[in-house]
Amino acid sequence: MSNKKTFKFYITLWIAKVSSFALKILRRNATYFPGKIALQLCPNFLGMLEKPKTIIGVTGTNGKTTVCNMINDILSKNKFDFINNKYGSNIDGGIATTLIQGSTFTGKAKKQLAVLEIDERSANKIYPYITPTYLVCTNLFRDSLMRNAHTEFMADILNKYIPKETIMIENADDIICSNIANDNSKIYFSIDRLPTDLEKCENITRDIRICPKCYTKLEYEYVRYHHIGKAYCPKCGFKTPKADYIVTKLDIKNKKMTIKTKNAEEEYDLINDSIINIYNMLAVIIVLKKLGFSQEKINDSFKGLKIVETRFSQEKYNEYEIITHLAKGMNPIACSRAFDYIRTQTGKKAVILILDDLHEEAKGSEDTAWQYDADYEFLNNESIKQIIVAGPRYLDSYIRLLMANISPEKIVYKKDIIEATSQLKLEDIEKIFILHDLYSIEETKQIKLKVKELINNKEEMRKI
Amino acid sequence: MKIEVLYPELCNLNGDIGNIKYLQKCLPDSQIIETSINEQPKFINEEDIALVYMGTLSERSQEIVIKQLKPYTENIKQKIEHGQVCLFTGNSVEVLGKYIENEDKSKIEGLNIFDIYAKRDMLHRHNSFYLGEYEDIEILGFKSQFTMLYGNNEQNYLFKVNMGIGINENSTLEGIHQNNFFATYLIGPFLILNPYFTLKLLKVMGIKEPKLAFEHAVLEAYNVRLKKFKTISN
Repeated sequence: MSNKKTFKFYITLWIAKVSSFALKILRRNATYFPGKIALQLCPNFLGMLEKPKTIIGVTGTNGKTTVCNMINDILSKNKFDFINNKYGSNIDGGIATTLIQGSTFTGKAKKQLAVLEIDERSANKIYPYITPTYLVCTNLFRDSLMRNAHTEFMADILNKYIPKETIMIENADDIICSNIANDNSKIYFSIDRLPTDLEKCENITRDIRICPKCYTKLEYEYVRYHHIGKAYCPKCGFKTPKADYIVTKLDIKNKKMTIKTKNAEEEYDLINDSIINIYNMLAVIIVLKKLGFSQEKINDSFKGLKIVETRFSQEKYNEYEIITHLAKGMNPIACSRAFDYIRTQTGKKAVILILDDLHEEAKGSEDTAWQYDADYEFLNNESIKQIIVAGPRYLDSYIRLLMANISPEKIVYKKDIIEATSQLKLEDIEKIFILHDLYSIEETKQIKLKVKELINNKEEMRKI
Repeated sequence: MKIEVLYPELCNLNGDIGNIKYLQKCLPDSQIIETSINEQPKFINEEDIALVYMGTLSERSQEIVIKQLKPYTENIKQKIEHGQVCLFTGNSVEVLGKYIENEDKSKIEGLNIFDIYAKRDMLHRHNSFYLGEYEDIEILGFKSQFTMLYGNNEQNYLFKVNMGIGINENSTLEGIHQNNFFATYLIGPFLILNPYFTLKLLKVMGIKEPKLAFEHAVLEAYNVRLKKFKTISN
């Protein structure tokens, strides 16, 4: 298909620009619709539209929003002039909207740099028209089974559509992700063996267990979680690649990490102590290096940076700590990572789970198959004193907790989130974790308020 | 009591493994045997396997499994004829059909044990709710698949359809049921979602007075979901 601008293209561009302007006047989100309408009117629109000279793409199952947010914040802090889809959708319509808003009325790019979060499932609709200069692939895990099916399917789509000219930035500790776009130039990142790494995987889900070349059972020098770690085939030699950027020292206590490259060893301050976010930071550092940032500039830019509150927040309230943590519903890996994070935190805890995908629930009912791919067993931990499950699928979650051998005495299960939260026992705990889905931000706020009310009541009672 | 799980390193998608974990809770003394892809299935030579289970797998894994099972085709056929209890969920039944057809019309030959064939459409994933009947009980569940199954299952279907689809979008008969072989496209923790079916399956497996694990909770969840699904179907 020719990418030469046609009359139809110009008309479409103007309609999209006017709709974007009108939506903004009406104070409505102009983050998806203008692009959607453009692609409907002119299917080859993305091909004809001029793109910024440098495009940083970020894809993968988990972490892409966090990686993009960090890159965007740092570039903004350093006065870069660029476009991004931070407030828009990461599928074709959202990306088209971002590019439309970043173009002139003649379809020329206004900015020479773009940071785009790209949904991996939309690869077939985006990469035929957009060639990222660099494409970060954070990891590849099973995600929503209804949409993404399984990792082989996702890997096949990415392999088929990622342009050969794109330089891949891939997680070397992920044997699926590190084998995406094998004909492309690559930069690999890795975190060296950690004291917390294991000999054997303790997760239910491992998306690759046998060698894809000779079907021999894969073995691991060490496993970090799921299929992440140093994997190899004992028969044919298929293995995780050697990385270009390696975290060699990780000092969680002092919040520092050392990254080793071929020519240097550099120290960076950590902004978060979860391994997933350290991988995310590593990917961000590589992108910033490619954009010409020095170690000092990157480290300075990280200062004051936080993971977006809708994904993670931590607040000291009287003698308690209230932590909210995103655990995307229908995504067993994101939930397992969140469960693992909770069990490894110090102190005695209560956990409130509202993991139902309310978006799916609104369509009828949520398929809860993913719960049996998620490690609810991690919540069966001595330090977790109470687990509260609420929301439309509260009974399914209750059964899943029972299946994880968690004592029914520890569990509160109720449909109503506030009624369930009211039963929080504040005695004998120090931390309250609220695990929520992407579509439960408002409910999370309500729960947090209720938790604070309970803490206040306790204080009042103590005074009496 | 032995339960053989075929190829768990490949047939582990969509939370299907929840079925085995639930059977283990219902039968605490049972022994779960996991047979890996380079091993011969135990039920071929052993007579005391109470249930053979296979869960959902990827398209490439289907091809590997077909290759591994091919030498045992006649044995498997015989076992099914003689009443071996089997439960196949998701797309796993496709390996026992005549063939699986790709979008480009190329075909992957199956074991040809059942007179059925599957057609793949990797660009369109079918997702749906399911409500149906098995004997005197109501069955519910979820479907999520790239393939549809074709062929005549009028004589050996598993469930009737009240909401959703059968083996394909034009069929009102879901799954395959021949002697003690049960296959359904319903995914995930099907046995937890369908406690009354689980009781029947346990009886077929030889348990005289089967007991459900977490009986009260699973029945309550079943009734709530049934009510919801009936609202959707209306």
